[in-house]
Formats: sequence, C-alpha cells, structure tokens
Amino acid sequence: MSADFGGVRDVVTQDAIDAYAELSGDFNPLHVDPRAAAASEFGGIIAHGPIALQAFFRAATGRLGVEALPAGTAVKVTYRAPTRPGDTIGCELRQEDGTELLAECVKQDGTVVVSVRATLPGA
Amino acid sequence: MSDTPVLSNVTYDELVTGARMGPYAEHVSAAAAAQLAGAIGEPVAVSDAPPAVFPVLFLKGLRRAMGGIPPGSVLAKQELEFHAVLPVDSDVAITVWVGDKQVRRERPFVTIEFDVRSAQDKQVVTGRKVIVWPTGPGQEAAA
Repeated sequence: MSADFGGVRDVVTQDAIDAYAELSGDFNPLHVDPRAAAASEFGGIIAHGPIALQAFFRAATGRLGVEALPAGTAVKVTYRAPTRPGDTIGCELRQEDGTELLAECVKQDGTVVVSVRATLPGA
Repeated sequence: MSDTPVLSNVTYDELVTGARMGPYAEHVSAAAAAQLAGAIGEPVAVSDAPPAVFPVLFLKGLRRAMGGIPPGSVLAKQELEFHAVLPVDSDVAITVWVGDKQVRRERPFVTIEFDVRSAQDKQVVTGRKVIVWPTGPGQEAAA
C-alpha cells in the first residue's frame, strides 16, 4: 500500500547558500566564488547538496509529526543534479507500507535534484 | 573551527582508508538548529536537533579532518543512520575516516564515514558521504 502526501517548497537563494556556508564551514568555491564556479564543469554557482535535502527532511518530520527523526531511521540520498541560486525545490513524499518514505526533490523545470529513501524504525 | 583552514589541499593519493580522525568537538546551538528546522530563511524554534543538523556536522567534521574543504569536490551520495535524538544546545564529538576510495567511470569517488556521539558518548548519528574528489590518482591539488 502506498500513499501520497503534500510536499514542501523551498526557494534557494545566494543568501541562503552563503548562510549555509557560514553554518557548515563549507566555503567550497563552487558554492561561494562566482568566478571559480563559472570556470568549473557546472558553469556557475551550485548550492551545497544538503540544501536541497532540507526540503525532504522538513516534509518527513512534518509527516511524522516530530522535530527529529526517530532512532532506527536510515536515510539514503542520491544527488542527481545541481541546485542553483533562484531554483525552487519541491519535495513530495510517498509512504510504502508504513515502513519506507520515498521522495524526489524536483526543481521548477522538472529536473530531479535529489532522490531519497528513508527506512523507518520497525521496518 | 576557526583555526581550520577553509580549503584543503589533500589529494586523492594522500587519502588513507580506515585511519580514524578526531573526535572533533562541536556544539549544536538552538539558533543553528532553528535555522535548519524551518524553510530556508525561516527559522523555527525546536527542542530536538532536526535531521538537517547532521549533514552540517558531517561538513564540519570533514573540514577538520581534511584541513579544509576540498575545493571543487562534489557530493554524490549521502547516508545517515539515526540512533538517538539529540537535544539542542548539546555538545557532540565527531569521528571521521575514509571508508573507501575508487575510480569509477574515470572519476575519483571517496567515501567519508562519520560517527557523531553525544557528550555521554552515546552514538547519535552515523553515516557517510560519497564525494567526487577534485583530484584523481597521480594528480596534484590545485594551487
């Protein structure tokens, strides 16, 4: 049995990327240096991967009605495409048999940026 | 972490699998947790650390273990196992090690393992990041 639940949306800005760099200490030039990022294979600034993952975490904790994921939860994430300043990231959850949360975080043009499979305790 | 350089010059060849680095002490503040609990730019006060805190702790551990963040590195995969709930305003200890390194499809992939423990030495979160390293075998780090 599976069920679909409402998702969440996040708008990624350069200010948000800069704030994440301050918070995490990750000042990789791909995230904060426009000139270096432009010369990279990405052709411009990309966000830290976990910024796109934040939409999943917010959707999952909202779905479960908790602040923290419960002990025994395991989360597997594949980063499939870069997120850039100005992108809107949407994350829709699907629950399979009450034991797994599946999600794809998608940006405004339909590109999947993050795929997630979370196994809940008791699975 | 202010004494840790911003960027690392550790090359793929210099990475040694299995050698434990740390533990590195970090603090999970209520303000940081709030910033990571809500929508981007919309903090929400919480009493327990939201899951988004842990990728941040992984990055802090990576920077301290590698003497900076490898410039040009790209995150490909990430896994997290949640073992216990962590209240905000807690101290944690992060141990870091290289779990695996291999070249696939001509790209150097490095798996970095993390073990985050509470001040009481209780395992809170374990996990790993698979990173496309900015240098491959036989390559020098960028100046």
